[in-house]
Amino acid sequence: MNFLLCCALSYGASFAVHATNADPLLLKNVLTGLSNHTAVRAGFTQTRSNPALMQPQISHGTLLFVLAHGMLWQTEQPYQETIALTGSRAARLDAQGKLQPIRDARGVSQVSQMLQSLLAGKPDDVLRQFDVQTSGTMTKWMLHFTPKQSRIAHVLASIDLNGNAFLEGIRIDMHDGSATDIRFTDARDAGAITAAEKSALGLP
Amino acid sequence: MKPASLWLRAGIFTVATLMVALLGTWLLFGRGPLPIQTDLLAMLPATEQDPLAETAVERLAHANGDRLVLLVTNADDDRAKSAARALGEALESDDVFSSVLAELPPFDLQQFVAPYLAHRFSLLSDVDRSALMQPDFDPAQVLARHLNEPFATAMGTSLQDDPFGWLQHWMDQQPWSRSALLPEDNLLTAHRDDRTYVMVTATLDGSSYDDSVQRRALATLDRVERSITHDYPGTTVLRTGALFYAAAARAGAEHDVHLVGWVSSIGIALLLLWAFRSPGPLLLAFLSTLVGVIAATTITLLIFGKIYLLTLVFGAALLGEAVDYSIQYLTARANAGEHWQPRAGLCQVRMALLLALGTSLLGYALLGMVPFPALRQMACFAMSGMLAACVSVFWLLPALLQRPSKPLSPTLVRGALAMQNTIARFGNGSHGWGIALLLLLIAVPGWWQLRHDDDVHLLIAPPPALDAQELQIRTITGLGNGSQFYLVQGDSIEQTLQREEALEQRLQSLMRDGKLRGWIGLAGMVPSQQRQAADHALLAPLMSDRARMRKLLGDASFRSSAIDAYIAAWPGTTIDLQQWLATPISAPFRHLWMGRNAHGYATLVLPQGQDDVIPLHAAAMGLAGVQLVDKPASVSNLFGRYRGYASVWLLAALLLIAPVFGWRYGIRNAPRVLVPPVFGIGLTLAVLGYLGHPLTLFHWMAFMLVLGVGANYAVFLLEGEPHVVHRPGAMYASVLLSAVTALLSFGLLALSSMPALRDFGLTLLLGIGCTALLVPASLPVHGATTR
Repeated sequence: MNFLLCCALSYGASFAVHATNADPLLLKNVLTGLSNHTAVRAGFTQTRSNPALMQPQISHGTLLFVLAHGMLWQTEQPYQETIALTGSRAARLDAQGKLQPIRDARGVSQVSQMLQSLLAGKPDDVLRQFDVQTSGTMTKWMLHFTPKQSRIAHVLASIDLNGNAFLEGIRIDMHDGSATDIRFTDARDAGAITAAEKSALGLP
Repeated sequence: MKPASLWLRAGIFTVATLMVALLGTWLLFGRGPLPIQTDLLAMLPATEQDPLAETAVERLAHANGDRLVLLVTNADDDRAKSAARALGEALESDDVFSSVLAELPPFDLQQFVAPYLAHRFSLLSDVDRSALMQPDFDPAQVLARHLNEPFATAMGTSLQDDPFGWLQHWMDQQPWSRSALLPEDNLLTAHRDDRTYVMVTATLDGSSYDDSVQRRALATLDRVERSITHDYPGTTVLRTGALFYAAAARAGAEHDVHLVGWVSSIGIALLLLWAFRSPGPLLLAFLSTLVGVIAATTITLLIFGKIYLLTLVFGAALLGEAVDYSIQYLTARANAGEHWQPRAGLCQVRMALLLALGTSLLGYALLGMVPFPALRQMACFAMSGMLAACVSVFWLLPALLQRPSKPLSPTLVRGALAMQNTIARFGNGSHGWGIALLLLLIAVPGWWQLRHDDDVHLLIAPPPALDAQELQIRTITGLGNGSQFYLVQGDSIEQTLQREEALEQRLQSLMRDGKLRGWIGLAGMVPSQQRQAADHALLAPLMSDRARMRKLLGDASFRSSAIDAYIAAWPGTTIDLQQWLATPISAPFRHLWMGRNAHGYATLVLPQGQDDVIPLHAAAMGLAGVQLVDKPASVSNLFGRYRGYASVWLLAALLLIAPVFGWRYGIRNAPRVLVPPVFGIGLTLAVLGYLGHPLTLFHWMAFMLVLGVGANYAVFLLEGEPHVVHRPGAMYASVLLSAVTALLSFGLLALSSMPALRDFGLTLLLGIGCTALLVPASLPVHGATTR
């Protein structure tokens, strides 16, 4: 680890300065690896626990992620809903297939934006907001983000990402004891994107 | 009149002048900072019928008046932030700034939420409100969706306090949640185009318009900026604030005053030295002008308290007109040769000077009737200056000009005579008609191409670099433009807020159509009691049925303690404007509340991201108590209206002067006297048309002066000609002298940094030039002397 760190520092990776306690080479490789997939489909299971809840809330569905455009979050259980997260905007796809903007969803968009920049191999925005620790190997890696900004650090404890060639899971831990855990299954390159998906994501 | 009485008069005049000068000096320097108005807004006329709207314009301008906004930017994030911190620290250490905000004081996100918890059942976001109004509203589904939102990290309200997310959604709508700048490393930061922008604000310890505050603050800023751009390479600092505009305006005006003042003084001095071939007349001409300037400054300060930059520059140009009176007297002396008698000379020029003064005063009085503070002051300055300069010719100069002098420069007189004869020959008989017709034919296509322009930037034209920086800062920070806003009025606080809500409904639809980025208004932060009651009523069926709510939350696996706490919080209280205004969170928005006035209450709504006023106007249409205040447009409208009036006034002035000339020169000759100025104006209009120069109010104001000054020349020539039969050409030579001095000073205004004065200068240059050339045509046929 130390050896790798020294190599990386001399290697001059641009995020070396930001990534304290991290293996910049691994981070760089992980992000490069992720950004190789321009469009990804996966199934998801999101588990939300909260001190106010006796049991965690669990939802299932599928996800389509398109690099530099955003993602379609399609919940199938416990209800049916498709949300398009593009840039800083969130919109719900109604029964007629039309996008209905959801309020100025900053809470939702912050994490989705962070993911979008990470997966696009552009970690600078994220590294301004978070310290990152890396562990594991390219086939099984783990990125641990802790907020740098005291205002956010007061509320948000950490965000963990893990995966291999694809992102496998996200875990968000809050200081009030609530947590969101998202597991991805069957991640694969998306292949053909349907016209409806394109219009929802604002793709040409 | 004996020489002694000449001296007595001169003595009285000198004492009076000295007293006026003393008073002027005290008014200028004896009352604290220099009474020079660098606030350009003060020059704008009151345009709003509603005086409250004027107050609001001032309040918005001055809410930020003494504050500077600096945006430190660098492609490197760390450098941008370190530079911003360094900037903040350096400014803080200078006492010209009363406060500097770079690093934010520590605060807690929860601090924003806590005050609103008690009101959570009265505050709904628009989306939630319309969802709750749907007949098929399904609270269980809304709850499930909120609990399973993708990635949701509740940065604001906790699930226990806000299970459905209603309060959170309302908070997300608030301006502080939508700010384009986010706290990062305790700095207000934005990221754009791979650059980091950090905002630093500073408040001056004093007024932006105070000369010494201006100089000190700018010096410190420049020094600090140099040092941080050196220490953190690649850093640039964008700046905006009233300070920079005021300083730029002052610098522009100073430059103009120096240019016009010095160049015209030196030009006039050389010209007079050459024409009179001795330094004495030159000194006396300047003495008479100086008397005019002293009187003008003192009287203007007495009436207005402060001098506008526009007046200062215009005043510098006025030298060229005030010197005319003394030139006439001095040429009379030069032409009299050895037979010179001061009293006789005075009698000889009296009629000419009085007629000339009368027409000038008339011209400026018309200028002063326009309800623009700046133009009124210019008129006041000109009238008092001209009057004093003219009186000095009658009272002061005779005592000082008792001895005869050398005749005028023969070259000048010969040249003038040649010109006079040529022009007079062409200007008379059938030649004259032919040439008049030809000039008319040349002018018509030019008139045809005339266009007009009433933009407010005629009066206020800040350097483009400052405007560009302000625009960039506005784009990055999302701050409103401040020149267009809504004024909402009502009989009570409640009615005012309700009216604002009606307006905001319209703005919402503008936003949906992408015609508006947003707005800031108090009703969004503190809804009317009616709206709060309606929101509360929407939640009542859900919340007051405790058993149902308990089951709903229980089914979503909420703990019973959480359920109990939530149900117990119902019904909560409403939020009240007055109380809210007392909380720290309202501080950045307090200036929007205009408070109570004679007719009720008023508040302001600032639209953002739309500079086109048509949709903004449409949004206010038909709403009671709501008006869009658009100061630039109002000023432009006023310019346009007065431009229309000005052309009528010009005609009226012509009709006023015509009978005076008819009385003096006979009905048959009067039109001939009016030909030079009228043709001067017509030809100038044609030239402006050919140049593609749009006509403004200021062109028309200048035409009134062309009429006044041009008529003077005809009067000087006609009145003087009989006295210089022995020296043909000498009278026209004196008219040419007057014209060239006027051109030297007014013409230089065409190089001014102020568009209004530029238009003024160009018009006078062309108009007076043409008129002076055409003047010999006004001499009766037999008056055209041949050699």
